[in-house]
Amino acid sequence: MTSTTIAPEQVEVGKTWSGQSVPRKEDRRLLQGQGVFVDDIKRHGMGYLHFVRSPYAHAHITSIDVSQAEELPGVYGTLTGEEVAALTDPFFQISSPPGANVKDFSLALGKVRYVGEAIVAVVAETRELARDASELVEIEYEPIDAVVDARYAQDANVPTIHEDAGGNLMWHGVYEWGDLDSAFAEADRVVKIDQLHFHRFNSTPLECDGALVEFNKGTGQWTIHTNNQFPGFAAIMMGPAMRTGLDRLRFVTQDIGGGFGNKITSHPQLVVCCLLARKLGRPIQWTEWRTDFHLSMSHGNERWFLETEVAVKNDGTLLGFRTKALDDAGAWLRYEPLGGVIWAQVTPGMYKWRNIRVDFTQVATNKAPVSPNRGYSRMQHLWFTERVIDIVAHELDLDPVEVRKRNYVTVDDMPYETPNGCVYDSGDYAQMLDIGLELIDYAGIEERRADAKARGRLLGVGIGSTLDSGTNNFGQSRMINPELQFSGNNEVATVKLDIFGEIVVTLGTTPQGQGHETTAAQVVADILKCSVDDVNVRAGHDSYWNSHAGFSGTYASQFAVTGLSAVKGATEMLAVEIKKLAGAVFGGVPEEALELADGGVRIKESPDAFLPFMACGAIINANNAGLPEDLGVTLNCRYVYRPPFQVPDVERKFGNLTLTYATQIHVAVIEVDPETGYYDIVDYAAVDDCGRRINPQIVEGQVMGATAQALGAAVHENFVYDEDGNLLTPNFYDYHVPHALDMPPLATGSLESPSPFTPLGTKGMGEGGGAGIHAVCAAVQDALRGHGDAIVWDSCNPYHRVWEMLNDPKGAGGTVSVTTT
Amino acid sequence: MITTEQTITVTINGTTYEREVAARKLLIHFVRDDLDLTGSHIGCDTGNCGACSMLVDGMLVKSCMMLAVQADGTTIETVEGLSDGEELNTLQAAFREHHALQCGYCTPGMLMSATALLRENPSPSDDEIKKALQGNICRCTGYWNIFEAVKAVAR
Amino acid sequence: MLLREVGYARPASLGEAIELLAANDGARALAGGQTLINVMKARAGSPDALIDLNGLEELRGIDLAADGTLSIGAMTTYSEIVGSAEARARPIIGEVCAQIADVQVRNRGTIGGNLCTNDPTNHLPPLMAALGATMTIAGADGERTVTSAEFFLGVYLTAVVQGEVLTKITVPAGRSDGFAAVTLGVDGTCIASAAASLNGRITVALGCVDAVPVVVEPATASPDDVRAAVEAADIDPPSDVHASSAYRAHLSQVLAVRAVNQAQGAA
Repeated sequence: MTSTTIAPEQVEVGKTWSGQSVPRKEDRRLLQGQGVFVDDIKRHGMGYLHFVRSPYAHAHITSIDVSQAEELPGVYGTLTGEEVAALTDPFFQISSPPGANVKDFSLALGKVRYVGEAIVAVVAETRELARDASELVEIEYEPIDAVVDARYAQDANVPTIHEDAGGNLMWHGVYEWGDLDSAFAEADRVVKIDQLHFHRFNSTPLECDGALVEFNKGTGQWTIHTNNQFPGFAAIMMGPAMRTGLDRLRFVTQDIGGGFGNKITSHPQLVVCCLLARKLGRPIQWTEWRTDFHLSMSHGNERWFLETEVAVKNDGTLLGFRTKALDDAGAWLRYEPLGGVIWAQVTPGMYKWRNIRVDFTQVATNKAPVSPNRGYSRMQHLWFTERVIDIVAHELDLDPVEVRKRNYVTVDDMPYETPNGCVYDSGDYAQMLDIGLELIDYAGIEERRADAKARGRLLGVGIGSTLDSGTNNFGQSRMINPELQFSGNNEVATVKLDIFGEIVVTLGTTPQGQGHETTAAQVVADILKCSVDDVNVRAGHDSYWNSHAGFSGTYASQFAVTGLSAVKGATEMLAVEIKKLAGAVFGGVPEEALELADGGVRIKESPDAFLPFMACGAIINANNAGLPEDLGVTLNCRYVYRPPFQVPDVERKFGNLTLTYATQIHVAVIEVDPETGYYDIVDYAAVDDCGRRINPQIVEGQVMGATAQALGAAVHENFVYDEDGNLLTPNFYDYHVPHALDMPPLATGSLESPSPFTPLGTKGMGEGGGAGIHAVCAAVQDALRGHGDAIVWDSCNPYHRVWEMLNDPKGAGGTVSVTTT
Repeated sequence: MITTEQTITVTINGTTYEREVAARKLLIHFVRDDLDLTGSHIGCDTGNCGACSMLVDGMLVKSCMMLAVQADGTTIETVEGLSDGEELNTLQAAFREHHALQCGYCTPGMLMSATALLRENPSPSDDEIKKALQGNICRCTGYWNIFEAVKAVAR
Repeated sequence: MLLREVGYARPASLGEAIELLAANDGARALAGGQTLINVMKARAGSPDALIDLNGLEELRGIDLAADGTLSIGAMTTYSEIVGSAEARARPIIGEVCAQIADVQVRNRGTIGGNLCTNDPTNHLPPLMAALGATMTIAGADGERTVTSAEFFLGVYLTAVVQGEVLTKITVPAGRSDGFAAVTLGVDGTCIASAAASLNGRITVALGCVDAVPVVVEPATASPDDVRAAVEAADIDPPSDVHASSAYRAHLSQVLAVRAVNQAQGAA
């Protein structure tokens, strides 16, 4: 168990709090079993909801009979698709046509489109009874052939999944920048790659989705206790569908058991809970179980890259590429087709490719709907660019390290504008690669390869370099649908001094383990010159706290930028107000003559003139007679941080789509048992650069977690469907996630290249996990070099696939050709 | 005699509870729903994840693969019983110091597995630590910091 | 989660357990529950009643006879076997039990439950078949002892019929044993497995390739003979999400050779 993690450094008082590994405020309650997760919440008289789910991937529903279920003693009631269609409107669609024409309700209406789709909701006195009753719901189906392979979804004679859309095409767009013809004319070689496949998986947070929903009949308001990680998005989906104002949808969250993007799109289930809370006049409790989650929630985007062509010089200089990206959205567009543009934040990967064409198509299939998953849409694209690099190196017999260094955007290029107008803010990729290579002792790798060979093992080394773009410019959604009126981004924080001087911070975010309470307190303590222990950050999210905005939530690598910048802004406002107040109390002392220190404010020149925060809070809140009328101090400061974005040029598909670019470079060393295809990761290095780190330990925790998820995805985790659309990995028994014994030794390294574009020099981070997938794919390909020379073309390589590539490199490996021009 | 409901008595973290319980109720549901001890969690439905781990008569089990009626007469320890009052115990403090938790959902089960290990083997090797935690899935940390936390206590 | 309604009884004796099982067609014996309760959670199986064998001390424990014969009570847990000094007389048993699932499962799961489930991915059916273990089954009419060939009848199907309980597993003396598996993750579910025993004759039992362990008897312990013996068994393993039929067939040969090699080393 080698790991570079060492005992954490002591927090030094007197230094700034930011930059130190302050132990987390959240931990005490979580370690004592006192966290409040959604399934922990109970209300008198609540009814437990159970969904009746489709056993078919594609079928007409010919009849639904809930009468027997409703007659079972202890059953409170049911809800069907027909009732939903009467009570709500279809969810707003992000897509332009044909995807725009899809009619999406919270329960299946007339047809089921994937195994596990919810058809009826049953509510009963106990969890067990609700499930018993769901077995009494009688549904008749007329099965239809399932569409499970995106490559054939648009073929003639393939059944249409959404008749309203007139076919299985959901969205199509062409992205082209630079001059492809010149690039290919200039090329010495053109490398052609038939197909690459990024597989379907997600991060499987340990807690599944859930809600407890109360309806207040008198006010018409719903209180939705839920672990949805992007309530702002849920609200704008739910409000119009439910024909209600958003203030009637109160979202409350305390602790969330992991999200990773997978808890963004629970709005259909939340609508069902809301409708039933109103219909049955009682709180509705819904807990999603693991199998439900695997069958129906937020699979990551499965993507094909077809007919890829890469223009290269003999020395490995990359001139351009073109590819046809084909995204398999599954049965519904619940956040899609945003995946059709989000990848463009990292269009050239980390390389100086200037000429790029991506023909992007998204189709529907009879599989679970896809939604964001850690590294959303960029991970797929970065896997593609990394695969291209290693395939080019393989075909041209070049060193993958050299090809990377030859083409990486360099530290001198920063800030670097990509061909599509994104700006890479800072970083030194080549240096990070060197750190990673040193951590796994790359200099000695050939010796180790020989040693492995002597033991009958094939050693392979692979690099994965990725960008973790953070803080979306939502204006990019207009490239999907020019009609959309979204752009920019925002986040909110409020910081106040209460009557007894207590510092209270309220965030707009919905953290799932990222330590927001702690890092926010660090930022506040530095500005107010107090201890982090004096800063009370409210746990969780409540939309009634009035500390949220349209894009509030925790997703897309942005808290360190949006959340902490909002905290900084609000705290600075408060600091100014404290000084203003003190100036008045001290009899007209100007702000510049005052400073914050030791939990109060004092006159710089005569520090004995000191007003503790407690006095400030008391004066403003309870003892304010005689204060100047125009003082303008409330000591309750709300700040909205807005990143400096412009609306992108939709015609050219050009503009700055995201604010910051953290970087991860991973290096994997594997040993393959050629008799079985089994392989171990024997050494692993993860190097991270996310700009200024407020809490290095939290950052390193994110790096480690993302790495583990990537390794799981690279080797095992895969939502595999059979030809009838049955999910073959619907639980943790068949969907193997890494456990303790699966973990390789890990060495971590870091650089710190502050972002020039953010108030704190921070960058969003946490989604860099894809690097592990890229690195393992490259390592497998390297290990097979000279042993069949198969090309790794799929992002998931379990043992059987490696064995197949060893035994049938032409059949099981990817098809690649090189043309000399 | 075969019955579908029984009265059972269990002692959890020092408190004795007597309750009527359906034979079909899993121990984890009994503890969470009937006794309001919500520290132990549910992360899967196939006995893989270990979030519901607790000690039953000193033995580490996954309480989702045991019926509540089977716990009749037993003494159970859950995460809520680890601390003495407000103070974190040594293991909990090591988890905090080493950032061995993020979302905290697997943490109660993880702590119970580590507790069982350290009682049986106060000086486990690195491999023994990994082996002891194999039954607890964590999706946030990659386990590395959890190993470090347990090692810190083992020393 | 959320089982169908079920009856429950905790008999005070083996005799009572047999009576309850015999009197209730829909009743099933509940051993460690590490498979059965999961099946019930999925509602893939829903017995009318569970007859809990956990309190029956007479079904627990490990005896080592003077001639080296091991008798293991069916309700002995994997952890008890791993920790047992007696069980070390046949070390492979404890070594394999230590690879099953995880601590929690090993603390509850039993050797009898593992064998009676006879899930093709289970570790112990091929191991017991290779070791030449016999199984003792008690019913209203008394006890009978069967060989593994007679015991394992199909997936989730054994010689134990309604009204009967597996009480004891008897393993003859010997030390030259081996076990090899390719698993889903380290020490995970078996994708393919092979157990070998070289005590007097060479016996290899293959797991995960058929409804019951497939036993072959290579002429010698040489890799070629072992592979030839597996080849001659003409297995037609199932394909699933973790392995194709061809891959499993190939692994069977590789693992058989490895298990035999380990057995030779353990002599």
